[in-house]
Amino acid sequence: MQGIWQVRNRASYDLEDHVARHEMPAGRGVVQGGPIPYQEWAAAKKLENAKSRLTADPLANCYLPGVPRIMYMEFPFQIFQTPDHIGITFEWSQVHRTIYTNGTTHPDGIDFWMGDSRGRWEGDTLVVDVRNHNDRTWFDMAGNFHSEALHLVERYTMRDADTIDYEVTIEDPKVFTRTWTIKMPLHRQREADRIFEYQCQAEAEEANGAFEPEPRTWYPGPLAKVTIPAEWKDVQTPWQAPARKGEIRRMADGKPDLQGYYMPDGGGANYGLGKHEQDFLTPAGRGVIVDPPDGVLPMQEWAKKEAESRKLPERGYDDPTAHCFVAGVPRSMYVPSPLQIMQPPGYLVILHERMSWRTIPLDGRPHLPDHLRLWQGDSVGRWEGDTLVVETTNLNGKTWLNEVGEIVSHAERVVERFTPIDPDTIHYEATVSDPLVYTRPWTIAFPLNRQKDELLEVACHEDNQDLQHLKDIRDEARAKARGQS
Amino acid sequence: MNAFRLGILVAIIAWAVLPAGAHHSFSAEYDANKPLKLKGKVTEMRWANPHAWIYIEVAGKNGKPEKWAWETGGANALYRRGWRKEDLVAGTVLVIDGFQARNGSNTANATSITFENGKRLFAGSSSQNSATK
Repeated sequence: MQGIWQVRNRASYDLEDHVARHEMPAGRGVVQGGPIPYQEWAAAKKLENAKSRLTADPLANCYLPGVPRIMYMEFPFQIFQTPDHIGITFEWSQVHRTIYTNGTTHPDGIDFWMGDSRGRWEGDTLVVDVRNHNDRTWFDMAGNFHSEALHLVERYTMRDADTIDYEVTIEDPKVFTRTWTIKMPLHRQREADRIFEYQCQAEAEEANGAFEPEPRTWYPGPLAKVTIPAEWKDVQTPWQAPARKGEIRRMADGKPDLQGYYMPDGGGANYGLGKHEQDFLTPAGRGVIVDPPDGVLPMQEWAKKEAESRKLPERGYDDPTAHCFVAGVPRSMYVPSPLQIMQPPGYLVILHERMSWRTIPLDGRPHLPDHLRLWQGDSVGRWEGDTLVVETTNLNGKTWLNEVGEIVSHAERVVERFTPIDPDTIHYEATVSDPLVYTRPWTIAFPLNRQKDELLEVACHEDNQDLQHLKDIRDEARAKARGQS
Repeated sequence: MNAFRLGILVAIIAWAVLPAGAHHSFSAEYDANKPLKLKGKVTEMRWANPHAWIYIEVAGKNGKPEKWAWETGGANALYRRGWRKEDLVAGTVLVIDGFQARNGSNTANATSITFENGKRLFAGSSSQNSATK
């Protein structure tokens, strides 16, 4: 099933037959055998949802869509398959799902917007139990809903090489009088070789002015021609592979097996890449910069001033991760949050607990055209001996390097090296070249340590109360500045 | 609370000697010069990411009950430390310490909470990625 898929129906608007309404195209239903069997109170609640859908729909607020809704939205997703896990990365807000096929069971006492998926193969059909839902997601834009007692059984069966018959049995004794079933085909997107990003909340906040542009770092359009100075390439060569500390795991083809759950030991990099002391509630850091040798970021003069300014309380609001936007590269690798590495055929896939992903093709393909810019950039990888080398370009310059505001721009190019040094440790290095911000390239290094724990889910924006507090602090500072001028 | 789990929590507290590792946003929002310790009754626990919230009611100066909102580490960090929703049901009496918001509102950042029986839980943001490790 590995590949890029999408429905060709209107189920995400309304699971049942419907004519067109405001911002809702018409479509045929996907519910099998009659209307959705609501209990009486629930049928009334559904009508109420439908009336207020333009504001009450969780998707109107860019909240996580939940399962099964994410599977039939009008956005593509990519399925990655390994023996123990099936990973699904979605274009919509960089959401991902892991379907565990390693015989493990649902966790106890925790619920997720996206539920918890445990699958098994029955012949050629993948059967997935989805439990641990919350009661805040809907099935569609029409207000069809469920409670936290929802239990789904999904069935994925390949009808032919390019079609999956997707069927979901829906059980929720608090809302429905009986179980019911939806059914639809998923179609392989043969013309697509990758999916992009639709960062729902970031797009909304840019459009409404809540997230303000930074012209010094954001990609200004195709007229921007920035090239990395030729002499910069030599700074990190020859590259020294780290010393091996033990045998490493290997795939059947002999390549290193990096798969598993990891916690980065980012050494406080999310609060400053250089060595720094604790400052009130901002933790200390041991310093992860290995080049330049003095361990200090080689910032240009303007960048030093800007980085100082970003430390002010009123600039806390400007950190994109305070808005729950994705962290970018390399920051995604050292935010204090676990990640999962998968190695399906032809790819290295990184799923971040702070809902975002990176899919890194290993087939030697070229980068995207320069004018296509993304929050997580465009990454391609290759093996050099036992080191996976990943080059990332096409970044949009909207991210910060950490919470104290160290800077990267759209000119950033990142070369990462993943080297396993024993069965449970990856030595991670990233060299960042950004001629708009720095006087030379620089390199950070730290270990990724294997952990037993599976990933949980960070639904960040959905319950983020800090942002308003930070906005109040900023607005107060701005009002004061206006009063003085 | 289940006694076994409480044992785990206490063991974790024992090594969590770091102060509430948190972040820049916290330094912006909360005031190092306003340390605060309050005893009260839980009215609600909001089990959320990126940060969870404990709402308590305390006896105010003139005898009127006052409501306070305490921000803690994220739900995932708390879950991995062994916290569960049922540990902080409404009515639980506890002492919370931490730092009050800069804006002087009844909002604070929690460092730790202590139950009536003396058990103490680390409530801060991030010990897992502590810089000392």
